Amino acid sequence: MENVIRQHAEHQFAQELEELKKQDSGNRPPNWIMTPQSVVTYLIGGKLKNGFEVSPKYIGNKRLMEIAVATLTTDRALLLYGLPGTAKSWVSEHLAAAISGNSSLIVQGTAGTSEESIRYGWNYARLLSEGPSEKALVETPVMRAMKEGKIARIEELTRIGADVQDTLITILSEKTLPVPELNTEIQAVKGFNMIATANNRDKGVNELSGALKRRFNTVILPVPDTMDEEINIVKRRVESLGKSMDIPSELPALQEIKRIVTIFRELRGGLTADGKTKLKVPSGTLSTAEAISVMNNGMAMAAYFGDGSITASDLASGVLGAVVKDPVQDKIVWQEYLETVVKQREDWKDIYRACRDLGY
Amino acid sequence: MIHLLGIRHHGPGSAKNVKQYLEKIRPDIILLEGPPEADSILNWANHTDMKPPVAILAYVPDNLQKALFYPFAEFSPEWQAIQYALENKIPLRFMDLPVAHKLAIEEPALVAEEVAEGEEELPHEATAQPRKDPFSYLAEIAGYTDAEKWWENTFEHRVGSESIFEAVNEAVGALREQFPDEEKHVEKCREAWMRKTIRQAEKEMFNDIAVICGAWHVPALQNMPKQKEDTDLLKGLPKIKVECTWVPWAYSRLSFDSGYGAGINSPGWYHHLWNSKKDLNIKWLTKVARLFRKNRIDVSSAHIIEAVRLAETVSYIRGYSHPGLEELNEATTSVMCMGDSILMSLIHKELIVSPKIGAVPVESPKPPLQVDIEKTQKQLRLPLTEEEKEIVLDLREERDLEKSVFLHRVSLLRIKWAVKKSVAGKGTFKEAWVLHWDPAAAIDIIDKGVWGNSVNDAVTNYLISVAEKETSLQDISALLSDTLLAQLPKATEALLHRINTLAAASADVMQLMEALPSLVSALRYGSVRKTDTEILSKIVNGIISRICISLPGACQAVDEDASQHMLELFFHLNDSITLLQEEGQTQMWHTTLRVISENKNTSPLIAGYSSRLIYDFKLLEEESIQNVFANALSGVNEYSWSAAWLEGFLKGSGTILLIDETLWKLVSNWVDRLDAEHFTTVLPLMRRTFSQFSHPERRKLGEKAKSGGSTGGKILQSSDVDHEGGMKATKIVFQLLNIKD
Repeated sequence: MENVIRQHAEHQFAQELEELKKQDSGNRPPNWIMTPQSVVTYLIGGKLKNGFEVSPKYIGNKRLMEIAVATLTTDRALLLYGLPGTAKSWVSEHLAAAISGNSSLIVQGTAGTSEESIRYGWNYARLLSEGPSEKALVETPVMRAMKEGKIARIEELTRIGADVQDTLITILSEKTLPVPELNTEIQAVKGFNMIATANNRDKGVNELSGALKRRFNTVILPVPDTMDEEINIVKRRVESLGKSMDIPSELPALQEIKRIVTIFRELRGGLTADGKTKLKVPSGTLSTAEAISVMNNGMAMAAYFGDGSITASDLASGVLGAVVKDPVQDKIVWQEYLETVVKQREDWKDIYRACRDLGY
Repeated sequence: MIHLLGIRHHGPGSAKNVKQYLEKIRPDIILLEGPPEADSILNWANHTDMKPPVAILAYVPDNLQKALFYPFAEFSPEWQAIQYALENKIPLRFMDLPVAHKLAIEEPALVAEEVAEGEEELPHEATAQPRKDPFSYLAEIAGYTDAEKWWENTFEHRVGSESIFEAVNEAVGALREQFPDEEKHVEKCREAWMRKTIRQAEKEMFNDIAVICGAWHVPALQNMPKQKEDTDLLKGLPKIKVECTWVPWAYSRLSFDSGYGAGINSPGWYHHLWNSKKDLNIKWLTKVARLFRKNRIDVSSAHIIEAVRLAETVSYIRGYSHPGLEELNEATTSVMCMGDSILMSLIHKELIVSPKIGAVPVESPKPPLQVDIEKTQKQLRLPLTEEEKEIVLDLREERDLEKSVFLHRVSLLRIKWAVKKSVAGKGTFKEAWVLHWDPAAAIDIIDKGVWGNSVNDAVTNYLISVAEKETSLQDISALLSDTLLAQLPKATEALLHRINTLAAASADVMQLMEALPSLVSALRYGSVRKTDTEILSKIVNGIISRICISLPGACQAVDEDASQHMLELFFHLNDSITLLQEEGQTQMWHTTLRVISENKNTSPLIAGYSSRLIYDFKLLEEESIQNVFANALSGVNEYSWSAAWLEGFLKGSGTILLIDETLWKLVSNWVDRLDAEHFTTVLPLMRRTFSQFSHPERRKLGEKAKSGGSTGGKILQSSDVDHEGGMKATKIVFQLLNIKD
């Protein structure tokens, strides 16, 4: 277990889950390993009665997590919606870990996801030799979650073709999975529910059908609320990623992180931080995750092509790449931003020059 | 016996409790927190045409800026108490410190506040609680982050209300012991006056006295100090003249949004709480669903069911006994709106705040805005007649200027009275107006009364709110020029701010170009104050930068008509930039012009005009202008393209062709190359181009063409000189010069 690159949430935070369970009191929904209140605490972090400190998994609005958890106690499924990089999958994994102690019942949605990978498949060798039988059935994570009363996860729901998506309707509304070949069905055990994630910026997604939409409660995960919150997230992630990839450069100064986060927030929000100047918004998402990767990219540039300390020019190309996704529209947006905002700021001269040097 | 009922203003729970309590104890007099001046107009309250929300407006007739509003909604405990008193025919008295004293005491403070904040629209009713809400301490102890929410869950949502007033009294008593010093002089006077009123009632031998006031005051009324202390405190208070009237109010003005200090966030929700006794959540969410459906958003009954369940589960997780508005909103977002909070703004506007507006009987006293308008009309001697009357103002006269400003203000308020007419004759100092007074305008005035009590205030606040909503850059620029004429600095500022915002968001360069000239002329010539000039020049700067960045793109792939329009805008833009004479901007403009003229995809008309401007600015060597010309007229280009380019270049004047021999030859060669078919296609275009030149210019060009290219410098031939006309003119010239022939 030590050697894996990334552990499942329930293993990495096993101790926290154990402590939460120990001091948990109150009503547990059937087959949940802890009460809804404790699940919220696990996500948001906090101090337990015995002084044990639970680390925050989701930095942001507690109310959203409460709604997410409350949804899973009803018979509606949960759809986490949001821009790429707003911690949807992260939250989904931790919710599953805290509710059923198992976050691995997962189906990755792609354009090629077929009905067999959601409902059930067949072991064809056995099917041919023995005919249809329970043994010849290949279970999917969804089917297993139904049998065991656990949380199933579907990633990128809107990437799955519309016809395949709709196989979920029976599962979610009647809580049953018919197997007509064997003239039988799998009925979901209490505790079964589903968390799906989807992003609302991608082009060419398969919009959910009205019938399926109705089976989900939607929670939109927003981009971080405040500047400090976002800087905090970027700083933590950049530090931990830098370590795990052995990039030999210095950790970026807080000031650089602050500038990148400011640029991202201002362009994303269409308003300067002082609230005085309106800005056009580029077509890209400019999520926190992208800010993190710009910083990482800058660190790598500085380490391998520079002197190890990050300068504005190491970051400029990364920022440009993140902002200008559409060569015509976004270029105008970026130019306006450079001329009307960046240029005016006294201590931003280096970044202005670095960006101008790149031809923008 | 004295019954003290501590309430929260506009709390539906408090209203319910007050009503029940009054019915139980059946008092023989009610004393209510409110302005004693309004006692005389109380009997209007149960008039059939009186529909809450309404407000008692207490104002100083000589100074309309000074006014206090006491708003009442159906769910206000005060309103319920008034209704109870009128129904049961028992006396009701207001017991707050008279507004006459209050405004007089607060005078210096008020002025200071006005100066400090600048934007404070009206002095508001002083809140019942000191600034930093002491209730938040109790809320924190109970584990709430929000004092409002705590009060709501603890007192307003209670079903049983047996000893609720005692509980409130005790809680506030404890708080006031902790914060004894947080009281201002006015607050002390107010409470002294309340006690005075209570003593008076006792003296008049009333037995059961119900005293209804903000919860915060209860302990002060419970432990009566000696009468003498109060008398001393109230001795020699300053006083000014105050009048009271009923005015219609709106739920949106009750909410925090409108800046009303002691306001509430969700009057619509409180209205719902007050009017539905059972199944609150279900009814609310059904209302939400029906509103969505009305706006073509599909929401089924199943959605409502799920939303109710989610709201209840969430409130369970949070440890509340039943869902509040927040939980219901979150459930609505999650279940009905796909998590998207954009749709919630609809709910917020229509249901949570609710657009309900009250009404007052027509025969009740006149609102102050009308009084102010009539006063100014009289002062300026402007006729108030039903027949149309035209007046012409000479703006050089101070009196007429005042009239013009006033008329502009009134028409900006959209009160149908005065219409501006265009004046014959030159000069900008004349202005003509048609005045026509329609009695129906009184309704407009009442309607606009919510914006302020004097024309100046009302129009300023009204324009500020319009500025917030307006989305068309051109409309708002037009509004700005009227506002400048009406001399409203604050409104001007708001409009400028909005223009700035819109300009930034606008992707349409044409819009920006259309808005620019009026802004520039306001900047150069307008009677704008100094602070505004700064903002304005910043905005103009920003707009010019934006235009220069996006213009090259916008000049591509435009059709003929659009090009003509664009050319017009170019003309004005160039004028504006030349007028400003700012180096940075001129520089940027020149660069942009080069980019546009060099871009092969630019529409020919515009490319031609840009080249011309570059030539005019002397940015090109003589040789290069010839190259540009040669390129444009070379055989590679389509003839119509070249003709359009030429039209652009020669826009307005063809003198350049007379002076520059090389250019002349280029054009001449180009025309020679045209075959019959092409000649007929470009002829109308060329004709259009040349017909714009002045007469002598055309003549000279014609001569030059006739003589095969040699520079025309001949004396005018006398054949078509009008001798007769000339003689007449000469006579007059002689007269003018005083020469006798």
